[in-house]
Amino acid sequence: MTLLDVENLKVTYTTEDDTVHAVNDVSFSIDEGVNYGLAGESGSGKSTIAEALLGLLPGNGTVERGKITFNGRDITSLSDTERRDMLWEDIAYIPQSAMDSLDPVMSTGDQIIQAIQAHRSVSDEKARSRVEELFEIVGLDPDRIDDYPHEFSGGMRQRVTIAMALALEPDLIIADEPTTGLDVIVQDKIIDKILEIQERMDSSLLLITHEIGVIAETCDELSILYGGKVMEQGSVDNVLVNPTNPYTMGLKNSFPEIDGSNEDAVAIPGSPPNLNHEPTACVFKDRCPFATDECGDSHPDLVSLPNRNHRSACHHVDKAAQMRRDAKNPETWDIPEAEDTATDTGEVVLETDNLEKYYEQSQSLLSQFRGEDPDYVKAVDGVSLSVRRSEVVGIAGESGCGKSTLGETMALLEDPTGGEFVFDGEPYEYYQNSNLEEFRRKVQIIFQDPFDSLNPRQTVRKLVGEPLTIHDYRSDEHEQAIIETLEKVGLTPAEKFLDQYPHELSGGQRQRVAVAKALVLDPDFLICDEPASMLDVSLKVNLLNLLRELADTEDIGIVYISHDLASLMQVSDRLAIMYLGRIIEEGAVDRIANQPKHPYTTSLLSAAPEKDPTTDRARVLLDGEPPDPVDLPTGCKFAPRCPKAEEECWATEPALDESEDEDHRAACYFPDDETAETAVEASQTDDPDQSTNAGSLSD
Amino acid sequence: MSQFQRFLAKRLAISIGLTLIAVSVIFVVLRLLPGSPFEALVTSGNLNQQQINEIRALYGLDQPMWRQYIDYMVSILTFQFGYSILRSQPVWDVLEPRLVNTLILLVPALVTTAILSSALGMYAGWNRGSLLEKSSIITTTFLRSTPVFITAIFFIIVFAYNLELVPAFGMRSVTASPEGYVDTFLSIDFLHHYLLPFTVAVLYYSGDFLLLARNGIVEKRGSEFLKLHKAKGLTEMQQLARAGRNSMLPILTYFALRLGMIFQGLILLEVVFGWPGIGRELVLAIQQQDYPLVQAAVFIMALAVIIANLAADVLYAYFDPTVSTGGGSSA
Amino acid sequence: MSTETKPKGQLYKQFDRVRGIIRDQFEFLRQDRLATIGIIVVAVFVFLGLFGPALAPHDPIEHDVRNDDGQILRLAEPSGEAVMGTTAFGKDVLSQFLAGAQPTFIVGLFGGIGTGAIGFLIGLVSGYYGGWVDELLMRLTDLTFSLPFMPMALLLLTFVTPNIWLMTAIIAGFLWKMPARVVRSEVLSVRERTFVKSARASGASDLRTMLYHVAPNVLPIGFLYTAYGVAWAIAAQASLAFLGFGDPTMTSWGRMLRQVFESGNMRVAWWWVAPPAIGIAAITTSVFLIGRAYEEVINPEIQTEQ
Repeated sequence: MTLLDVENLKVTYTTEDDTVHAVNDVSFSIDEGVNYGLAGESGSGKSTIAEALLGLLPGNGTVERGKITFNGRDITSLSDTERRDMLWEDIAYIPQSAMDSLDPVMSTGDQIIQAIQAHRSVSDEKARSRVEELFEIVGLDPDRIDDYPHEFSGGMRQRVTIAMALALEPDLIIADEPTTGLDVIVQDKIIDKILEIQERMDSSLLLITHEIGVIAETCDELSILYGGKVMEQGSVDNVLVNPTNPYTMGLKNSFPEIDGSNEDAVAIPGSPPNLNHEPTACVFKDRCPFATDECGDSHPDLVSLPNRNHRSACHHVDKAAQMRRDAKNPETWDIPEAEDTATDTGEVVLETDNLEKYYEQSQSLLSQFRGEDPDYVKAVDGVSLSVRRSEVVGIAGESGCGKSTLGETMALLEDPTGGEFVFDGEPYEYYQNSNLEEFRRKVQIIFQDPFDSLNPRQTVRKLVGEPLTIHDYRSDEHEQAIIETLEKVGLTPAEKFLDQYPHELSGGQRQRVAVAKALVLDPDFLICDEPASMLDVSLKVNLLNLLRELADTEDIGIVYISHDLASLMQVSDRLAIMYLGRIIEEGAVDRIANQPKHPYTTSLLSAAPEKDPTTDRARVLLDGEPPDPVDLPTGCKFAPRCPKAEEECWATEPALDESEDEDHRAACYFPDDETAETAVEASQTDDPDQSTNAGSLSD
Repeated sequence: MSQFQRFLAKRLAISIGLTLIAVSVIFVVLRLLPGSPFEALVTSGNLNQQQINEIRALYGLDQPMWRQYIDYMVSILTFQFGYSILRSQPVWDVLEPRLVNTLILLVPALVTTAILSSALGMYAGWNRGSLLEKSSIITTTFLRSTPVFITAIFFIIVFAYNLELVPAFGMRSVTASPEGYVDTFLSIDFLHHYLLPFTVAVLYYSGDFLLLARNGIVEKRGSEFLKLHKAKGLTEMQQLARAGRNSMLPILTYFALRLGMIFQGLILLEVVFGWPGIGRELVLAIQQQDYPLVQAAVFIMALAVIIANLAADVLYAYFDPTVSTGGGSSA
Repeated sequence: MSTETKPKGQLYKQFDRVRGIIRDQFEFLRQDRLATIGIIVVAVFVFLGLFGPALAPHDPIEHDVRNDDGQILRLAEPSGEAVMGTTAFGKDVLSQFLAGAQPTFIVGLFGGIGTGAIGFLIGLVSGYYGGWVDELLMRLTDLTFSLPFMPMALLLLTFVTPNIWLMTAIIAGFLWKMPARVVRSEVLSVRERTFVKSARASGASDLRTMLYHVAPNVLPIGFLYTAYGVAWAIAAQASLAFLGFGDPTMTSWGRMLRQVFESGNMRVAWWWVAPPAIGIAAITTSVFLIGRAYEEVINPEIQTEQ
């Protein structure tokens, strides 16, 4: 039976000068007990649909037309009171940013109790015990229901919102990007949890996300959205395995594959459509390589494909098979094929040996007086790494593992507290004493957030030109240098951008300006700290390709720091995996991808969702979360969570195995070897309850 | 020592240091500046040399400067304020009733306005863009930006002179001669005099609270957690209550600060209404060059603000579960 | 910056851009009718402040208004001789009102700018450098908060004969703490933004980072508090004059109110009370209304509806 039916939904936002057509005639329906996915990049209207369903649209958003039927009732015609009664009782919601979604000055338990008591007259004790039960179900310690949100980590906060969604056992749960901003291992655990619980509760799920991998693993049916339109919908197996719409093909191909480099990710050039007017042509027309005149005339209707649960909005559905073949070829998208120049890496440009960065914990006057040693946070704890010219070294790790501090220490934005650091043949002391300016010219760093890394009050000309002014570099050909660099990073024609302010640029363009700012001084070494993490997939791939090309053509050594293994695999030559301030595995990309040695690497790799719904992946769910960096175990830092840990691991910490080959080393007493697959399975059979016993997930 | 205690100790030390410096500044202003009032005191009157010497000795002006400073610090910090020249009474006997008069006027006014205009401000912020919001903002902008004595004059002209509802001047009728606080304040006559200055004080204070509450709600209104509250099916009023709870802290801190500043009185309000409070007394003392009274009054005012500041910081640290008490906070 | 002379076209472009920025800054006025009214009031006030004394028909202090019989007109209602009536001393209210705008204007303008400038600089340095510099400057603001403004100002003005510039200095010397605190907390958040880190990474000196990257991003707050400073300074000046601590050689609106109040004629002489009272109330309210409209534009946290 149909639980939710959305018919021709249209939502607009009015801004001061414009009307934004965010959702345009979207229709889909969810049957009882079905998991439904809404996929799309930012601006596709996916979150707006959720807000319209829940009546949470901001004041300037209006449902222009369309019908939303839930359990046979038209939601759009409900009164405020009726809608309030329906919310949470029938439809619950797991919000996007768990970090900000909980009321900071109310205990987590009270927030859930409030949800229960808003709909049912239940005594306080009963509600409390229900909350304790819910905490148990989602894998949180039931004794912590009186804790405030800031006392929980991001992943645990998301568990609280899940517990809240389950409180009244609703028929439908709408989850809006429930795992965005979480680490891949935590994401995997959360998704697993949602699925497990939702199976047990027998409710339906509407999952909204930009990661088609997550949908492929969790949903039965999906709709692909672009520019407020449904591009393709149907069963996950049909749509994702045999896409018939060029956008779906492009989207799918732009996710880099995590295992091996046999298939390079292909970006979709261009940027999302302007939604300031009602779409008249196919919304994807401007970026579509298969577009014809017909596509300019109207947006295609969804056409049902014969005999299958599969609909696609494309004028050229009949040529789907051909398009599918062509779409895998970068040339189709007008992207010059990256030549596989077996990159000759040059001499070592930067080398660290046992590099340390400790932060002192503030301590009371009394214990200072007693001469007690202060506690340290060992953000970077003995990292040895070398980077050659023309080489991209990837550094991977979850948040809090110290990878950003490592990047900033290598850029000498933070002073190292121990170990050796050699750049261009000179030690750290040489630069620190008087030659910092030389270092600042030769080493550049690109930061995470393209929206924040450019001074909003400077034009592109000033932004890119400032390093030249500071270092008095190419001072007689300023303009020339700026234009050259802008063109190098693909901002053409450069003149068009010179007088623009950051807010006039798109996210991808901004990140390119940030890259240009770093390149204008012709550096020898580039540190990239999550430069692509806030960009949509299609833009992300563009940036990765640009960096790869720069390393090859400009002879720059690059360190690429990220939590996203897939993009690291794509861009790097070598990879270093970090856990709690240390490198626990290091080696050539394909070696690590295919035969990880350290159990942590194994679990990282296995946690990444698979975008092909037909493959089954073995989950390695890790216990708990990384320990407090102040109070670390004495032995292997990973031992408390490691499925293979033995006494030896708890006693002393393993070092990177120097004896083995240069190309692949791990810091583990029991490295996985060629029999990696069996090891994973073994670790699962060791603890068969792992994925079902919720209690074991709490720490 | 817990983190909170450490924070408390640090703030306490800062407050003590501040008090010492503030007291020293008063000393410098009163004794050391050219044309210092004590000089003027000695040279102005038609006194003979012997009288001058007596006065100098009485106020310790014959001592060396460092000695004077020490004596001054010791006596003022032990609340021994000496004798008022103007009133020939111990300073504290002069100040105490004046201070009480001020507090009885301003504390109820502040509490009333803090509750009423915060509530109104929250409601206005929730209904952003409504007529209520706009008109309340204009009214309070007018009331808080116009100097209080002008508002007071307007009110006197309208309510005292034209409508003749309430008296324009003083705290009790000229004929009343009450004894003790109870007798003074528990009478219809007092209430009659009280209404107008009370109203003006309430209105004068209202602007800041209203805007603070309104901005707090407007900021919170778009927040993610309110969205979740709304999705839970809470009513508008329940949502507003949560938004209000979340913007409570700045209002609370501001209230504490204002409470400290009440000890300064609203000088101009007291002057216009002839209210015998501490502010009006201080202006008289300055005009009459009654310096023991001046230094004591200024000291009390400074001390009150410092204590209120401390209280605000502690309140903030105590009530905000998310605030870290690690560093010193002062913004 | 390169020193080569820019071609003319580019100069125009620069000029256009500056104009665009100014237009953007005042964009909020179009949307807020109250602020527009405020701007008009301020414009009239500036005009009076500059030309008021010259426009006054009589000398505000020396000239006695007399009727046809040569008698001094005391407390006369508005009439042909004195368009806005006379004071208890037979002076022309209109002349006093016109001339009295100037001190109000001077103290407001310079007190406001002084308040804004000192506060901005202290807040900027304190927030950017942090550490002991911050600790020191913030304790200094705590000190000015704890010393009561009005009594301290009155004390200082009793030793030194009040003149308008001294009053301006005292007012700015006490009021800078407000912008300093707000600017500082703004700087603290700007300092944490990535582009500041990025400036350091590209080798910019502290001074350069502070002036080119941090300062421009807190400037709007500085402007806002300069505007508020103007209103505070006007209010403070009027209050001091009302208490009898104004410049004795000049007529000001606050002093006019003091004279009505002292002479006990408030009950009857509405023509004497109303002009200065309404003048002060109008200008302070207008400045605040403009400031608030501007705040609505620059405070990103209030802009939830975008």
